[in-house]
Amino acid sequence: MKDIKNIFVVDDDSIMLFGMRKMLSKITEKSTVLEFKNGQTALNEISDRIKNGNVLPEVIFLDINMPILDGWGFLEEFTQLDIKERILINIITSSIDPNDREKWLSFRKKTHHYIDFVNKPIYKIELKDLHKMDMAS
Amino acid sequence: MDKKLEPICISKGWIDLFSFLDDSISDRRKLEYFKSKNEWLDLLLKCISEGKELGYRSKIGSTEVEKYIEWGFKPFYEEKDKINGAIITAQAICKSVENEIQIEKLNTLLETKSEISKVGTWEYDLEQNILSWSKMTKKIHEVSEEYNPEVETAIEFYKQGHSQNRISMLVHRAITDGMSFQERLQIITAKGNERWILSSGKPFFKDGKITKLLGTFQDIDEQVKTELKVTESEQLLHTLVDNLPLNVFIKDENSRKILVNRAECEYLGVSNPKELIGKSDFDLYEKDVAQISREEDLQILKTLQPILGKETISTRKDGRKTTFLTSKIPLLDMYGKAYALIGISIDISNLKQKEGELRRLIDVTSVQNKKLVNFAHIVSHNLRSHTSNFSMLLEFLTKEHEEEEKNRIIAMLSKASDNLLSTLDNLNEVVKINTNTSVTREAINLKKSFESVHENLIALFKKNQVEFKNQIPADLNVHGIPAYIDSIVLNLLTNAVKYKHPNRTPMITVTAQREAGKVVFSIEDNGIGIDLNKNGDKLFGMYKTFHDNEDARGIGLYITKNQIEAMGGNIIACSEVDFGTTFKVYFDEGY
Repeated sequence: MKDIKNIFVVDDDSIMLFGMRKMLSKITEKSTVLEFKNGQTALNEISDRIKNGNVLPEVIFLDINMPILDGWGFLEEFTQLDIKERILINIITSSIDPNDREKWLSFRKKTHHYIDFVNKPIYKIELKDLHKMDMAS
Repeated sequence: MDKKLEPICISKGWIDLFSFLDDSISDRRKLEYFKSKNEWLDLLLKCISEGKELGYRSKIGSTEVEKYIEWGFKPFYEEKDKINGAIITAQAICKSVENEIQIEKLNTLLETKSEISKVGTWEYDLEQNILSWSKMTKKIHEVSEEYNPEVETAIEFYKQGHSQNRISMLVHRAITDGMSFQERLQIITAKGNERWILSSGKPFFKDGKITKLLGTFQDIDEQVKTELKVTESEQLLHTLVDNLPLNVFIKDENSRKILVNRAECEYLGVSNPKELIGKSDFDLYEKDVAQISREEDLQILKTLQPILGKETISTRKDGRKTTFLTSKIPLLDMYGKAYALIGISIDISNLKQKEGELRRLIDVTSVQNKKLVNFAHIVSHNLRSHTSNFSMLLEFLTKEHEEEEKNRIIAMLSKASDNLLSTLDNLNEVVKINTNTSVTREAINLKKSFESVHENLIALFKKNQVEFKNQIPADLNVHGIPAYIDSIVLNLLTNAVKYKHPNRTPMITVTAQREAGKVVFSIEDNGIGIDLNKNGDKLFGMYKTFHDNEDARGIGLYITKNQIEAMGGNIIACSEVDFGTTFKVYFDEGY
């Protein structure tokens, strides 16, 4: 398994950010974890990196309900970006609205990135969760 | 004539009788002429040879002048048993024969007529007290042809009671006063069958005295029974049609009413059906309605296809509308051509009204239901996000050994608890709005509402140097709940300040006017605006925020919208990024 170097966590809930940080720290000593309070700031960062030729995150943890640009809005724009790499996006949400599941499936079909959908609560993130893509392909 | 068929003697009368035949021919020659007729000669020879008295009739003469002659051939004897010749007699019988033939003809005709029409005759000779019945009269009485009636027994054939009393009286009056009669009565025949008959009688005068009664006797049993049946059927039909809880009418080819029942009369507000007979839909209904109806009628008369159970709305001349379920069926004559149509309508106005009410109720319910499902998702989502945080943090706590980290987790737990409480408060607020719709609404003066809210916001406005313009006319009132109106105005004004443009002096202008029966007020700012293409559908959603603003809770506009809708109002937003936002709120006018 390749080492994961960059992880983005996009969530406006400080408690969830705290939890994510805690869970990730247990499995990724070598990775850089960046936190974003909404979809727009995360998207800005990614666009900047593409422009400057910087390295992109291999894994993104994405919340749905966020201010300014929510998870769906983020995906809408992210999937339009010119990215060769296949990025793992983990949607983590407390929503059990069937509409949200359908939206996820339709995004999943439209893009070459690997998009997963996980319902809260989560208690633990394992190393293999970051490599789901490798196992799936 | 002698045995040799030579004349012995010719009488003067004979010569006179045959003088109409050619005079130039001698009387002897005339005899030769008779002899040339085979029948004449045969009878003469037979008379002479067999000694029999014979006779026959024949026609003599040309077509211009002809006579019926009654011939007689009688043998005469020289001595006993010895025939010497024949005495030939000739008698002209022209008139009587003609009459006889005529009478025979008439009799045959009468009998045929009597047979077909079942009309018999009778004759009562007063002088001789003899009653005679014709063949048909006897047949109607079901007695044999040999039966000889008498006045008393004849009257006894009539059914006891009315018929017998009546005929006795009529016959008596005819005899004494010379009055003719004609009456429908009932008899019981010889075989015991009850039968309707038409009996008529007429006195016959001779020297100013009634000597005879002549009359006819007709079997009208079938006719009367049919009539009775028809009357009965008609009565049944009328009772039925009149008492049906349906409007029934029959219209002729020109769509003029030829029959209406009681329900139709009541509907059209007349007490007597005669007031409607002959009237068309154009006399009774609005022109448009009548025109549609007339076209339908024509279609039915043409195609013979009935219209069944069609929903129609009739507008009477007085403007009252009624919804009917109408059927129109063509009435066909013997040749299969439609000459009229029968219409049956049932008033379903009440049903339609109830249907409308139900539909409105369903609409309201389905809107409520949609709102409820939406709200349930919001609740579930928000509660789930808090509980999952709790769950996650507790899991961390149980696995944690470091004291410092434990404290940090506990601090997070307490924050999560606060968040949950505040969410519950928000949800509670929304529930309250939606359950408090029965709170009494009143007329609220818009200008005053804005002024009082503005007073409460003076500190905020000053701090942000807001230029506030209240251009609401003093006379505009809305129909609503005062607390909600205050809350709505407060929230919208606060938002206008909250999302001011960093490089501009905030300007807020409020206006109001009447628009399509509603009162609409607008709050216009020159703030940062919002991209409605991107966020329009989420603007009034719960926990949706669009700006990186610390105060944004994503609840204000959601509550505002709920309050507006709870009062039957409506809110829309127009906005352009970097230019500003205008909210327009619609309410019923308050009086």
